[in-house]
Amino acid sequence: MGKYILKRLLWMIPIVLGVSILVFTMMTFCPGDPAQIILGATATEADLAAKREELGLTQPFLIRLGNYLSQVFLRGDLGQSWSSKVNIMSQIMDRLPRTLILSLVTLAISFGLGIPLGIMAATHQNRWQDSVSMVFALLGVAIPNFWLALMLILFFAVNLGWLPAMGIDNGLASYILPALSGCMGTLATCARQTRSSMLDVIRADYITTARSKGVHEKDVIWKHALKNALIPIITMLGSAFGRLLGGMIIIETIFAIPGMGNLIIGAVNNRDYPVVQGGTIFLAIAFSICMLLVDLLYAAVDPRIKAQYASSKKVRVKKEANANG
Amino acid sequence: MAEVKAKKKSEVVRVLRQLSKNKLAVLGGIIFFIEVIVAILAPVIAPYDHTAMDLMNINAGPSAAHWFGCDDLGRDIFSRIIIGSRYSITIGICAIAIATVIGCAIGAVAGYYGGWVDNIIMRILDVIQAIPGMLLMIVAAAMLGPGFLNTIMAMSIGTIPGMARMLRAQMLKERGNEYIEAETSINCSTFRIILSHLLPNCMSPIIVQATMGVGQTITLAAGLSFLGLGVQPPAPEWGAMLSNARAFMRTAPHLVIFPGLAIAVTVLALNLLGDGLRDALDPKLKN
Repeated sequence: MGKYILKRLLWMIPIVLGVSILVFTMMTFCPGDPAQIILGATATEADLAAKREELGLTQPFLIRLGNYLSQVFLRGDLGQSWSSKVNIMSQIMDRLPRTLILSLVTLAISFGLGIPLGIMAATHQNRWQDSVSMVFALLGVAIPNFWLALMLILFFAVNLGWLPAMGIDNGLASYILPALSGCMGTLATCARQTRSSMLDVIRADYITTARSKGVHEKDVIWKHALKNALIPIITMLGSAFGRLLGGMIIIETIFAIPGMGNLIIGAVNNRDYPVVQGGTIFLAIAFSICMLLVDLLYAAVDPRIKAQYASSKKVRVKKEANANG
Repeated sequence: MAEVKAKKKSEVVRVLRQLSKNKLAVLGGIIFFIEVIVAILAPVIAPYDHTAMDLMNINAGPSAAHWFGCDDLGRDIFSRIIIGSRYSITIGICAIAIATVIGCAIGAVAGYYGGWVDNIIMRILDVIQAIPGMLLMIVAAAMLGPGFLNTIMAMSIGTIPGMARMLRAQMLKERGNEYIEAETSINCSTFRIILSHLLPNCMSPIIVQATMGVGQTITLAAGLSFLGLGVQPPAPEWGAMLSNARAFMRTAPHLVIFPGLAIAVTVLALNLLGDGLRDALDPKLKN
């Protein structure tokens, strides 16, 4: 098990290296002159040339890429923001926890409500509980999170005045609306996935056996059935976290939460390439670690998978088969 | 040959018949079909010119004359949403079409050849997919610059890896079948094996994914425009309309309500259709 984790952690190095190269390349081909954007429209040609020289934009692409990679990977330095001159690492360390906590809380709400909702739908198949939760699930997937955010602001902040519309000055209350608007899509997907995998499991012979042994219905559902139905739900967890991290970018912008999303969008608009690169690298690391945790969760839930971790090749094949249905 | 054609036709008929039994899927299909017709005939259907400003009706609420009210420049919101369907639906369909073609090509090569080719392709996809989807689209949109065509490109860049991975997994399952061995033994060309034998057998999940993907792409593209990185105002793309409406949300909430509803209805219709298609294409998955 320890060997497997170490292997996966080591594998993250080439992934992060690849992400850095990809994002650096993409940002290099962005239209617009960063020097012009930093200095404004009134800058003289001489000033612009000096600025380009200072930012290192006059060097050939491969040399800049090499410099950047050695700076990031050998010295652990993401550089300075072009526009604000602030150290990027400290900016990210300041903001990443907010984004991660918000995403994790959102994820917890989605799964904490989505799984019971899915179970309710499955155990009451074709009855009103099923219809209500599935209508809710369909709407949850269809409604865009940023529009839901606006609607929630309109209702709870503007009309009722119960919750703050933006900022993070009101402690926990500031995070309620962002988490609510962020969780709806994942909650809905989770409820649907739980319903369908519970329905698959509930008809299995061992459930009938458990019932005939006189096991309490509650235990049949929550202990016997759910444990086996969890695997496809856990598969979903990883991709759901990725979507949430991405979705948080818009949510943070709407609620003016100073997190990674706000940082990256601001940097994209200012052509502040180093910040975009650094931010993307860190979000990719966070995402990769989450995927690793999801894989470890498989082992915790399913002893069969735990046994397979000895030969990781089998696990990968099984995981891919799971992920692709 | 005629027999093969007849068989293909009967398969399509079977799927359609199965689909027609699913009322929700039919409803989704009808809604989306109507939306496509509306998008095609948009300038004819729209009651007003979507760019015409009426200064007497700035931020006016819904009324008999202006069903969805007017925006901050007095433009009729109903007309703008109708014209906007052209942008949103075109982005959704084109981005998914491009992503499906490129993604399937990549996935087919990886899945069919296996070995080091597969390994290299999959590791590149690993890198791309390590970046959360929306972030990848934002970076792609930043690279390409704002605008309608660039939004389509950014959307497809974000969708290609998922499509490729899905088709590869299908290919791996399908490749082991005896008919592929038989075709290899009669010296069938690789291109032919992939294109006319493997691909059609791998298409079911791709069709479902593509149908659902159009809806997701419409939402994501609206999000991109909302952030100011996609389609730019004054174009009445639904996300761009929402972005513009945000400033007037407190005084004129109808400005934000209707474009969002348009997105939600479209995505809902496509999801219903996609669900139905999945059940019809793969009876095993049906609960």
